Amino acid sequence: MDKVEYTEQERWLIEPRAGTAAAAARDFGIDLSLTVSNLRLTPEERVRQLDEFQASIKELRKAVIISKRHARDRASTETSR
Amino acid sequence: MPEIERVLKLLAEHKINCVIVGGVAAGAHGSSQGTSDVDACYARDPENLTRLAESLRSVHATVRGAPKDIPFILEDETLRRGLNFTFETDIGDLDLLGEVRGVGGYAECLASSIQIVMFGCRFHVLSLEKLIEAKRTAGRQKDLLALPELEAILESERGKENS
Repeated sequence: MDKVEYTEQERWLIEPRAGTAAAAARDFGIDLSLTVSNLRLTPEERVRQLDEFQASIKELRKAVIISKRHARDRASTETSR
Repeated sequence: MPEIERVLKLLAEHKINCVIVGGVAAGAHGSSQGTSDVDACYARDPENLTRLAESLRSVHATVRGAPKDIPFILEDETLRRGLNFTFETDIGDLDLLGEVRGVGGYAECLASSIQIVMFGCRFHVLSLEKLIEAKRTAGRQKDLLALPELEAILESERGKENS
């Protein structure tokens, strides 16, 4: 795997100095490497990525509901045997 | 086509005067946190309300969470009588805000916005500084959770400007 090279400005977020907002965000649990990846994109690319992510979450939710329904159907079939 | 893109294009196609705020604005500024709806602060002049009502009818907008049997007539008058609305539509969720807490109405949001071209259209998006102010003022848990990352982005942008 290639090592990610960060610019000086990106290191502001990746290796934050104590007392900065970036340090507070890191301590809060934010993965600032994701933020840096986002900032490398154009605003349009960021929103598109957000949109695609939401669409996948929606698909995943649908799949979970279908899978639960199948499991329930299977259980009721086995009970009725 | 994914939902956010479709909702943004709807606003652009109907020439709605609005400023994109909330999670989509945060995403455009670089936040990695997700959102499932488009929030927009809209102009409340009669012409804009007419265009807005027309655009909402074209995607069969209904009030999110309201019982389906309660009639809701989507006309400019309905929008004029209310202020903030949460809609679900055929193409995705859309929250329309007459006022953004901590910032103000459309005019104030517009004055604190930047222009971003997305999906072939130009949008006004609330500035990062004002977005932070709005989220801090709103004070809901989901807004407060978004703050640390937005503040870090703002700080890094300011650092970039000062270097």
